[in-house]
Amino acid sequence: MQTGDPMLELMGWLLKATLQMATPLVLTALGGMFSERTGVVNIGLEGMMLVGAFSAVAGTYYVGSPWLGLIIAVIAGGALAGAHAIVCVKFKGNHIVSGTGIILFGLGSTTLGLQVVWGKQGLSDSVERIPEVVIPQLRDVPMLGTAFGSLSPIIYFMFIITALSWYVLYRTPFGLRMRAAGEDPSTLDAAGVSVEWTRIVGVVLSGALAGLGGAYLSIGFENAFGKGMTAGKGFIALAALIFGNWTPIGCFLAGLFFGFVTGLQFIFPILIPELVTLTNLVKILPYALVIVALAGIRRSIPPKGIAVPYEKEVRV
Amino acid sequence: MSEQSREGRHENEKARFNPINNIMRMVSDPSFQKTAIWSTGSIILALVVVSVLMMMTGYNVGLAFLTLLWGAITQFDRVLFFATPLIFTGLSVALAFKCGLFNIGPEGQVYMGAIGAAIVGYLVSLPIVLHQFTALLFGTFLGFLYGLLPGILKAYRGTHEVVTTMMMSYSAILFTAWLVTYPLKDTTQALDRTPPILVTAELPKLIGSFLNFSLILAILAVIAVDYLINKTVLGYEMRAVGQNPDAAETAGINPKKNIALALGIAGALAGMGGSGEILGYHHLFQDNWSVGLGWDGITVAVLGNNNPWGVLAAAIFFGALRAGGLQMQRIAGVPLEMVRVIQGLIVLFVAAPRAIDWLSKRGVDYATWLKTDRVPASVHLATSFMAGASAIVCLSVFGSYSAMIEAGIPGVGGIVALLLFLTSLVSIYALIELLMRKPRGLRLVAFAAIVWLLVAALGYIAGSMLIVWQSLVIGMVSFLLVVLVERVFPETPLDLGGDN
Repeated sequence: MQTGDPMLELMGWLLKATLQMATPLVLTALGGMFSERTGVVNIGLEGMMLVGAFSAVAGTYYVGSPWLGLIIAVIAGGALAGAHAIVCVKFKGNHIVSGTGIILFGLGSTTLGLQVVWGKQGLSDSVERIPEVVIPQLRDVPMLGTAFGSLSPIIYFMFIITALSWYVLYRTPFGLRMRAAGEDPSTLDAAGVSVEWTRIVGVVLSGALAGLGGAYLSIGFENAFGKGMTAGKGFIALAALIFGNWTPIGCFLAGLFFGFVTGLQFIFPILIPELVTLTNLVKILPYALVIVALAGIRRSIPPKGIAVPYEKEVRV
Repeated sequence: MSEQSREGRHENEKARFNPINNIMRMVSDPSFQKTAIWSTGSIILALVVVSVLMMMTGYNVGLAFLTLLWGAITQFDRVLFFATPLIFTGLSVALAFKCGLFNIGPEGQVYMGAIGAAIVGYLVSLPIVLHQFTALLFGTFLGFLYGLLPGILKAYRGTHEVVTTMMMSYSAILFTAWLVTYPLKDTTQALDRTPPILVTAELPKLIGSFLNFSLILAILAVIAVDYLINKTVLGYEMRAVGQNPDAAETAGINPKKNIALALGIAGALAGMGGSGEILGYHHLFQDNWSVGLGWDGITVAVLGNNNPWGVLAAAIFFGALRAGGLQMQRIAGVPLEMVRVIQGLIVLFVAAPRAIDWLSKRGVDYATWLKTDRVPASVHLATSFMAGASAIVCLSVFGSYSAMIEAGIPGVGGIVALLLFLTSLVSIYALIELLMRKPRGLRLVAFAAIVWLLVAALGYIAGSMLIVWQSLVIGMVSFLLVVLVERVFPETPLDLGGDN
């Protein structure tokens, strides 16, 4: 490592940890945004992330290329979200109950998959990771080198997808339709656009992004799948979505904030070595701060038509 | 709840609270019967999907279900033992739901209750009966506090309870893990756990080495929750808040107090479940001892339609699933996780009662058609069956087929796998279209048949006679049926317009 100011070095590490921890949260929160802005509550994000993380590793294992694994993860997440969409939109089921079913299915099927594919209980075999983007010019700059010198390309995708989400949601006809489906579906219906299809696309998009977020965990950050490896990140993403007031930029900032908080737990033991005996307590920090953050904000305003199944003849 | 049944309840208001009467009235209620059909239908659908999953992953489906059933029937004490904590966590979720809240984190409340009971169990020395009572009470109280906090946050800050209860659940698991690794660790043991509780704190066993007194507590809790929800002012207020908080507030009910209290009581129930497990069976708190009791509780509440007696029945069903699942793992080699997959699917299907309604409507539709035009209807029904069978076979063989073809003709295996997988999706779609009696379904079945014939040809080149025979049979039969429906009975009443 470079021989720089240790304080700057630490800042660099913290910055990198923040980006690494925030990426799955931001991606998943953006996914949740697409679903909830079209009017479908998606608490199944956790399950979709898990399935994404698992299929990324399984896909890489079978196909041999982590990039194809990434695509498989996105498809798998989208497919699982498709089931949620069919239950919620086509059959007008209870969104939260269906989401719970998705989480349970994700937990069960991925643990089952570990045993079927690798015959293992807790952790899969290691697979190839997505190669990191190395910027040689930055390597020797004190703080920035540590932070940005070598990052997973998915982290860069995260920035692009945030910008793209904003553009799609606010600057395209399709985005307008999605927002209308969540705010006032009968208007959208009167305009001759299918509310059902708009919602289904929104939900499938959310699953695809959650799958990408999960894949980052398993083949971007780590190189294997572990049982229940998302550890509530889907719910933290949901909190980021609420904290970010259902907007792309809000999701991005909230995701970065929660990522920063999660990153802190890696920094504390370096700063204060005596904390080793408190490792499990320090791990509680992000969960506790999520609660504090949510309790601290003013009441955020969800889309009006959220969780209300749209019936054609019924006036809402 | 329908208008009619509410009036019925009103008439009986003067009658004494009687659980048996309550059950009888519930069973004769048509809305209950509908719910029962939905739940049973969901279970059946979930089992169908799981058997396809088992075929895909190469397990013996028949043996698996047989051992599952056998294990559930022969070990009734274990079934009830596994059901006990699920009754508590299920009641916890159900009670919160009555107040319009989704308590998704009973797992954490179970952990807090369990650690509380364990602490009183081994640190405090008290005479028998009093000791058990104190330990149980302390665990329940910790659970109550752990549920009350998100309740207060929800009531006064509008913090979404789904997020907070889940976050607190993860926190509780980490917190108790820390407690048993450092301050409360039994230093004579290598594993991270507390010392065993004193004998005075152990709950008595009922039958065998599993079933213990906490089952009786669980059944009492069912009666108590039923009474609380249906016969007390508090329960009435909670239900009112659950249905419409604004209307309840206008009627002079304080929604904030009720929301906080509902989650608190929900936490207490889960905490009591955790305490009962420690005092009745485990006798010490070990890191990560609960195997997802909280998640199971959500499933139980959902399947039991948030009704205390429904929770009891659903908990026994899941207890049977777990006891049988262990047997299945031991004999058929199917991992216990399959049970969790079944649970997830059941919840997913319960969420969509209209799917079950739709399917039963299709069934009735076919039955009436079979009565009027026997031959065309049975041919059409056979085609639908064929589409379903084709989908299932596709899913269960696409792995092995592609491997065999890859061995014969290198480079084609991957394409075959993808093709068969897509064909299974096409076949499922064809089945749905056929059930709606739309002509597009027939075309899709014909497409699937062509794919099967193609696979047969590839199998011939690759030199695998097994593939040739199987694919040929499916392809030819599908083709024949399509031709029959299209050409021999062209006047089939297609497209009944049954969308939805």
